[in-house]
Amino acid sequence: MTLRRTWTIFARTMRLGPRSPFFWWALVLPVLFTFLVQGVFGDLFAPAPTLAIVDLGNSEVAAGAEALDGIEVSRVDDVETLTTAVEAHDFDAGLILRDGFDEALRAGTRPLLELYVAGESLASNRVVLAVTTLDLIRTVEGSTPPIDVSVVSLGEEAATITARTLPLIAMMAVAVAGAFVPAANLVQEKEDQTMNAVLVTPATIGDFFAAKALMGVVLAIATGVMTLALNNAFGSQPLALTLVIVVAAIMMAELGLLLGSWAPDQNAMFAAWKTGAILIIFPVIFYLFPTLPQWIAQLGPTYYFLNPLFELAIGGATFSDVIGTLLVALAVCVALLPVVVWSARRLEQRMASV
Amino acid sequence: MSRRKIIGAIITKDLVAFTRDRFFVAMTVLAIVFYIVFFWVLPSSVDETIEIGVTGPIESLFLGDFGGDNGVAMTGYANRADLMGAVEDGSEVVAGLAFPESFFDDVATGKRATVEVIVGTGLPPEIEQALTGMVGEIAFALAGSPLPVEQLDPQQVVLGVDRTGDQIPLREQMRPLLAVLVLLVESLALAALVAEEIRAKTVQAVLVTPARLTDFLASKAIMGTLLAFSQVVLIMAAIRALDPNPALLLTAALLGSIMVTGIGLIAGSSGGDFMQVLFIGMAFLIPLMIPALAVLFPGSAATWVQIIPSYPLSTIIVDVSSFGAGWADVAGRLVLLAGWCLALLAIGVEILRRKVQTI
Repeated sequence: MTLRRTWTIFARTMRLGPRSPFFWWALVLPVLFTFLVQGVFGDLFAPAPTLAIVDLGNSEVAAGAEALDGIEVSRVDDVETLTTAVEAHDFDAGLILRDGFDEALRAGTRPLLELYVAGESLASNRVVLAVTTLDLIRTVEGSTPPIDVSVVSLGEEAATITARTLPLIAMMAVAVAGAFVPAANLVQEKEDQTMNAVLVTPATIGDFFAAKALMGVVLAIATGVMTLALNNAFGSQPLALTLVIVVAAIMMAELGLLLGSWAPDQNAMFAAWKTGAILIIFPVIFYLFPTLPQWIAQLGPTYYFLNPLFELAIGGATFSDVIGTLLVALAVCVALLPVVVWSARRLEQRMASV
Repeated sequence: MSRRKIIGAIITKDLVAFTRDRFFVAMTVLAIVFYIVFFWVLPSSVDETIEIGVTGPIESLFLGDFGGDNGVAMTGYANRADLMGAVEDGSEVVAGLAFPESFFDDVATGKRATVEVIVGTGLPPEIEQALTGMVGEIAFALAGSPLPVEQLDPQQVVLGVDRTGDQIPLREQMRPLLAVLVLLVESLALAALVAEEIRAKTVQAVLVTPARLTDFLASKAIMGTLLAFSQVVLIMAAIRALDPNPALLLTAALLGSIMVTGIGLIAGSSGGDFMQVLFIGMAFLIPLMIPALAVLFPGSAATWVQIIPSYPLSTIIVDVSSFGAGWADVAGRLVLLAGWCLALLAIGVEILRRKVQTI
C-alpha cells in the first residue's frame, strides 16, 4: 500500500463522484434535514401555544401579546377569518379586540373578553393562553396584584427540543456521507468491474480501500462541519467539535467499507442499510427523549461520538470533560480496523476466485 | 392462450423474481416489523395537563378545583423544602407555588405578601408566565377585585368539537405516515423490478412469446398493485387502522396502491441501475411524504400540500380511523384520490410503453 496510489484512486473517485446522485444527496441532506427536523419536528415534539388576534382598535393588549415568550402570536384580518381558523385548529385560541377595548378597560366598564379556543387545543394550552391574556389585560388596565411574585429557578436550563435534535441531524449527515456513499461506491465498482480493472494495475486492495475510506472521511467531515455550522452549534469549542466529527467520520467510513465489501449488489446493500442503519442511529432517540433509560444508548458505538458532540455543542462541556468518551469512540475505530482489513482481503480472494 | 393466462404467467414470473432475492424479502419483512413495533411503542395518550405543586395555607383551596380536567393538576406538599425537592426531581410536578403562611392575613390587611413560583428544569417560558399570572389572579380574587372584563358564555368559547380529555395521540396520527411510507417504499421495489427488465432486456424475451405489449403493461400494473396492497393492508391491520370501517379503508388502501404503482412504473421506466431508480423514486417519495407528515400537525394543511396526490389518502386514513368518518364524509376525497390514481397509472403505463417500444 502506498500513499501515492491511494491518493490517485481517491482523486479519481472524487473526480467521478459528482456523477453519482448520491454524492450530491449526501451534501444536500444536512441542509434538508436541518430544515425538516428543526422547522417541522421541533414543533411536533414541543408545540408552542398559538394565538390569533384581530385587533380592531390598535390595542396595547395585542402589542403586549406579540412580545411574549413561548407563545406564537399571529394577527389576522377579520373576525370571520379568526373564528374559521380557530375552529380548524390552525390556532389554539383567537382573541378579538374591538375598537375602544383599551379605553373601556381603563374606564372600568368591563368590556367583553372575546377569547375563543379551538376544540382540538390542549387543555394546558388553553389555560396558559387564558391566564396570560388576562395578565396582559390587567397590565393595560393599570392594576397590579396585591402581592409580589418571586421566581425561583432550580437546576440548569435544560436543552430545548430543537437543540436535542442536533445529534439526529449530525448523525444523518455523517452516516450518509461517511458510510452510505463509500459503500454504494464500492458496490458500484464491484458491479461495473472497475474494481477489477484497478486491481490489475500495481494498486493493491489496501490502496483501493484506503482511498474509499478517505472519500468517506472527507465527505463526512464536510457534511458534519456544515451541519454544525448550519445549526450554530460550534459555539466556543470549534476545534474540539471538529475533532469529534473527524472521529465520527472515521467510524462511519469503516462501517461503510464493511457494508460495501460484504454486499453482493446494490439491492442487497440498500436492503441491509434500510434495516441496519437503525443499529447505528438509535442512540439519537435517547437525546430526543431524555426520560428514557440513558444506559441503553451506550450500547451503540455511535453514542461515543454523539455524546461528546452533544455535550460540547449544547451541554457547555469542555474538551477535557468529554475526552474519555471520545477515546472510547477512537478505540471502536481502532477495533474496527482489523475487521476492515480482513474484509478487504476476503473480498480480494472472492474476486480472484471468480 | 387467453390474455388472462398470459398476464397471470408474467405476474407469476415477476413474483418469482421478487422472492428469489431472499435477503431483500427478509429485509422488507423486517422493515414492516420495525414499523409495527415503532407504532406500538409510541405514546398512546396525550398529556394535556400541567402538574403543579402547592404549599402554604392556600393549598386546600386549590386542590378541589384543579384535578387536571382544566389543564392544571395540583398536588399539595407539606412544606417549601418538600415542594422544592419535588420540583427539582421533576417526576411529579414541573413547577411549584409556595404561598407564605400569612398569605390570607396579608391579603386581607393589604400587606404585600411574596409568593414564590418555583420553576423546574426546562419549564417553557409560557408556563412560567402563566403561573405568575395565575398567582396574581388568585390574589386579586381574594382581595375582592373582580375581573376587569366580562366573559363569554362558556358554551360559546370552544369552537369545533371539544376534545379535552379525548385528544388524538401521536400514535394514531402516525397511521397514515406508516401506510404511505410502506406504499412508497413498495413502489421502489416495483420500480427496481421494471428497471431490471428493461436493463436486462428480458422484456424483449417476453414479447417474442404470444404476450403482447398490453399484457406486459397490465401485468406490471397488477403486480405492483398487488405487492403494495398486500403490504399496506398487513401494516394497517397490525396497527389497527382498519377497525373502524374496513371496507372504506381497504378501498382507500387499494386506490393508494394503484397510485404508487403508477409512480413505480414511472421511476422504473428509466431502466437505470438500482441507485438511479432509487434516486428518481426519491424525487417522488419526498413530496408524497409531506401530506402524511402534515396531518401530524394541528390545523388545516396549506393549499399546496392539499394538491399533492397523497393528501386525500392521508386525511382519509386519519379521519376514518381516528375520527370515525364514513363514506359520505370522505366521498369527495375518494373521488379525488381515484382521479390521481388513474392519472398517475396512465402516465406510468404510457412512459413504460414508450420505453419498451424504443428498446
